[in-house]
Amino acid sequence: MSYAYLFKYIIIGDTGVGKSCLLLQFTDKRFQPVHDLTIGVEFGARMITIDGKQIKLQIWDTAGQESFRSITRSYYRGAAGALLVYDITRRDTFNHLTTWLEDARQHSNSNMVIMLIGNKSDLEARREVKKEEGEAFAREHGLIFMETSAKTAANVEEAFINTAKEIYQKIQDGVFDINNEANGIKIGPQHSPTNQGLNVGGSGGNQGGNCC
Amino acid sequence: MFHKQKSWLSGTLWKPKNPHSLEHLKFLYNLLCKNQTVTEQNRSLLVETLRSISEILIWGDQNDSSVFDFFLEKNMLSFFLRYLQQKFGRYICVQLLQTLNILFENIRNETSLYYLLSNNHVNSIIVHKFDFSDEEVMAYYISFLKTLSLKLNKHTIHFFYNEHTNDFALYTEAIKFFNHSESMVRIAVRTITLNVFKVDDKAMLSYIRDRTAAPYFSNLVWFIGNHILDLDACVRHDHDHRSRDRLADLVAEHLDHLHYLNDIFLIHIDTLSRVLTDKLINRLLVPLYVYSLTKRKRLPDQAVSHGCWYLALLPFLCVQVFLIIHYSPLMQQLAQVIFQGDVALSEPTGIGHRASPKMVITPCFPPPPSPSVQGIREFRPPRESLEKTLENTRPKRNYEQTQQETAGGAKAKGGNQQQQAQEGSSSVSLEQAVCSGDTELSSPTQNSTDEEKLLGRTYQRLAPSRSNSQPTAESLQLSFSLDNRPYLEAIFNALECSENDYSALFALCLLYAMGQSRGISQSLLDGVLMPTDRSESKENYNLFLVERLIRLIELGCQSGSKVRIATLEMSIKVLRQMVMKDGQSYLQDRHLACVENARECCTQLLRNFYKSEEIFLDMFEDEYREMKTRPLNVEYLMQDASILLPPTGTPLTGIDFNKRLPCGEVERARRAIRVFFLVRDLSLSLMQERETQLPLTKEEMCIKQDDVLDLSKAGLKNVFSSSPLFSRRQERRFLVIDPVQLILVEPDSKRLGWGVVKFVGYLQDVEVSGDKDDSRLLHVVVHRPQASVHAKPLPLLSARFVFDDHIRCMAAKQRLIKGRQKARQQKMTIVERLLDISPGASATGSDRGHFTRGGPIPGRSHPVRVERSISGGSQSSLAASGDGSHSLTPSPTPSGGSVPLTASAQQSSSASSTSTPNVATSGKSGRRVTPEQRRLLQAKAAQRSRSRQEQQQQQQQQQQQEQEQQQQLQKIQEKDQPEHAEHEQPQPQTELTDPAASTTSESKAEQHEVVDDDDVELAQDAASAEAFHSLNSLASSGT
Repeated sequence: MSYAYLFKYIIIGDTGVGKSCLLLQFTDKRFQPVHDLTIGVEFGARMITIDGKQIKLQIWDTAGQESFRSITRSYYRGAAGALLVYDITRRDTFNHLTTWLEDARQHSNSNMVIMLIGNKSDLEARREVKKEEGEAFAREHGLIFMETSAKTAANVEEAFINTAKEIYQKIQDGVFDINNEANGIKIGPQHSPTNQGLNVGGSGGNQGGNCC
Repeated sequence: MFHKQKSWLSGTLWKPKNPHSLEHLKFLYNLLCKNQTVTEQNRSLLVETLRSISEILIWGDQNDSSVFDFFLEKNMLSFFLRYLQQKFGRYICVQLLQTLNILFENIRNETSLYYLLSNNHVNSIIVHKFDFSDEEVMAYYISFLKTLSLKLNKHTIHFFYNEHTNDFALYTEAIKFFNHSESMVRIAVRTITLNVFKVDDKAMLSYIRDRTAAPYFSNLVWFIGNHILDLDACVRHDHDHRSRDRLADLVAEHLDHLHYLNDIFLIHIDTLSRVLTDKLINRLLVPLYVYSLTKRKRLPDQAVSHGCWYLALLPFLCVQVFLIIHYSPLMQQLAQVIFQGDVALSEPTGIGHRASPKMVITPCFPPPPSPSVQGIREFRPPRESLEKTLENTRPKRNYEQTQQETAGGAKAKGGNQQQQAQEGSSSVSLEQAVCSGDTELSSPTQNSTDEEKLLGRTYQRLAPSRSNSQPTAESLQLSFSLDNRPYLEAIFNALECSENDYSALFALCLLYAMGQSRGISQSLLDGVLMPTDRSESKENYNLFLVERLIRLIELGCQSGSKVRIATLEMSIKVLRQMVMKDGQSYLQDRHLACVENARECCTQLLRNFYKSEEIFLDMFEDEYREMKTRPLNVEYLMQDASILLPPTGTPLTGIDFNKRLPCGEVERARRAIRVFFLVRDLSLSLMQERETQLPLTKEEMCIKQDDVLDLSKAGLKNVFSSSPLFSRRQERRFLVIDPVQLILVEPDSKRLGWGVVKFVGYLQDVEVSGDKDDSRLLHVVVHRPQASVHAKPLPLLSARFVFDDHIRCMAAKQRLIKGRQKARQQKMTIVERLLDISPGASATGSDRGHFTRGGPIPGRSHPVRVERSISGGSQSSLAASGDGSHSLTPSPTPSGGSVPLTASAQQSSSASSTSTPNVATSGKSGRRVTPEQRRLLQAKAAQRSRSRQEQQQQQQQQQQQEQEQQQQLQKIQEKDQPEHAEHEQPQPQTELTDPAASTTSESKAEQHEVVDDDDVELAQDAASAEAFHSLNSLASSGT
């Protein structure tokens, strides 16, 4: 499937905040969230449309690779967008945001769009971090903020798409050098020869959504 | 989708209602059986089926083990494989890979994992020839491998590595993509390799070392080396800083490589590390990096024609090697080559060969004719591509066959392989020959012999220097020479800094990094007389080097110097490293004299920039703060690609101030200030003196937030504590003005006269203005001392203070304005003393009139406090300024605001400068002075305002009013603060009588100077009037 741009994202945050579930929820909606089943994935791709343009999102989860300095360094640099996720039911995951952000800012290119995500908003009863706190943190550090639930799919689309909109806007403003692939942005081939038959991720999700 | 299928399958099957059940899996299994061939028609059905299977399996893993039993029993993974191998398999291969990803990632049960891996299907899928030109397939495939690699441990490794067939598809397939064009793919490959190395399995590791390490590492090194050539080209063709972004990327990428290498070293697999060290030293670091150090010397012509700056690129990268990698054997060898020279390779042929600036790459195949000397260290490509090597060494695989009898053992191998096997076995037995696994070396032993030779040489050299270290220092110094040390000589020469400091900066960083590296033994460093913190004493330092360093520092202290601040800071760092230990200096007297001379020099330089303007003080303090809060970090400095470009002066490039030359007068002044701080700091520590003057603000003496203050206690006795402010909802705060700080105190309800400090700000950063409509109102802004260049200049506090009545309001305003001035004057006095500017000179200086030098006043001293209490008396005069609508516009920024303030200060200067010392001595004498003072001022004022007599009359009336008000105020204060009455009572008299006159002139000056601001003020006031009430309550919290 041809696309105008490809944006590479990374997802960062403490373990157990639901990063890979968010990713799967976004890239393949056919996985219906069920109460006794949590499924995640470390990589996914999906096509979205912004401003009439087809944009492909490629999302890489960095989980499990934190022990190698070289790996985290490189991941940050290769991404155009980052979702920084914490768990609203666990205060410590919120407290660690500063460290994550420092890391991200130090290693990423300065234009990387970072979205702060308070995940598990469905668990209102167990909430430990107020929405206002998340908002304040985001404001203070110049991030976009949103509370999501990978379980109910609330705001998951928006989180990924708004980040993409922000990146797209930066491209329009000429902030991103799109010819430099190291920024995590790639210009699509005009006519992609392959892929026609592949039913993947989001496109599959749209078709398969009506089953069951 | 499914109802379609249902009709299609009707009668044969029914779809279970519960998607998470064994029944559903059985149903899906039947679907697979019915659709064993992928076609255009059934592919969406198959995709959905595969997806559902993964979902059920994960559910089963967590809830029902029978699901896995069924999956295994029916050998369902084999369906996956069969689909892939079909002609139309590519239709569903992405979904297949994603399904597998999800499966392996979400399975928690060890047994389930073993089930999935137990037959070789997964390995077959790994080696399947996917269409890797499709970036999506590539991404899913490499993610699949990465997911698997994260599952590796001592047990699971046996599912992937087959000891009998010597086959490790996961690893060998992954490393084929080590130089893939997609960065994410490369990163995944590195992750996989690191995850593999991490598994502590002897057989697997020796397989890796024997079969893949040499080819992989030599390819990797070749890849890194080529990257460096790209970098080099990029630097050389970018004279105008246009491709800074690309350059930054290339540098960052290079750093990634080094970090990756370091991560491999950090896993501590000796055998692997040794192979890697060999490849790095002989194929990359020495031939590319080290040889380049001497290029400049040997190639003056080319260097000039290309603009000699680019030649420093490789030293720059060399520094990073020392900063990032700490693996001792590698660092030791590299340092040896740099220090001792590399005799075997400095022969004319070798150097001449690399002489061309293009870094000639030798053709691929010609094996070195005389391998013992030449050729072992050169940057050349591996003989064949990694993929090809791996293809040749891999046994023919057929899992379909071997899965039944996995213990088949090794089968037919090519000659190449056999040779390799021999090499492998020999390397096990012979430790020296570990590096021999390299297929590209003509003889496996050649390498080790050279290593031995080299080591032997260096030991010979080290031995004498070590034995010499006992006798006199002179003999050591004498024995050191730069002969036969071409690389060290090149580094030292770079410090000369004749044209610019471009290569000097890198040379300094290199020396620093080598001194800091844990991987280099001290004895090696002692060989070149480079003591570090590990040395017991630093008496034997390299005179030659230290002299160059000091010369560089001296150069930096001159005006119009080409030495950037970063370079100066680095040379100081290296000098400290050479001669300082535990606060003790080993620097010889004659060298110390040179440093002192440099200090004198930079003081002189700064004196030329000295101005008694507010901006100078702000700059002075900003620079000090900047120096202290952001000391030069060599690692960060070396990550900055911008220093690769020729030094520039323009700020438009966005290069940090300390990494470029100053531009314009202000920046030159800033530079002079910074140089002054740096050299002063160095000089003090060399003399083993403590800094007593800086910073100008003594933080430890300041009051901090949440301190509990006894407002009546002696320490604050002289501090005027104003009437309460923010009288909003019973919440009252006291505004306390001490000599340097503005303090807001929340009164303690239980203990009268005590309070908790809620906010502190420096008086020197206070900006205060009255309010047009409400005379009880003061607008107070406390600016934040600039934390860094990037931070937004948000004020520390911006609030409106409401006082009980306008008299108190006026008093507070006056107090704040005066306090600001005094606080600044104080500091300027210290600055003048630091710069040896005599008080006389400052008095005669054009606009330095308001400075007073009342004897030795260190910091904020007692006399000032007395003075402050008196200036507090002048509060009354402010009533003259009507409702207090005009403001002083203090200027922490170099805006026009500073002009009115200095002017007004000047006018009152004659009075204050004479009165201050007197007042300082005692309260009584202060009172005696006042009549004179008043007369003097009145005379002056009369002179100037002859044309405005009316105004003056008004003012005289106002003065009378003020005095009345003052008396009133005094009474109120006494009532309000019975605790203070005792202490403050002696003062009222002075306050009543004295400085009214002096402030009259000042307030008048304000009236003239600040008229323009009124309109602006009005607008602001109108806008903020609404917000006022709500703000007011907030103000107390200091936001």
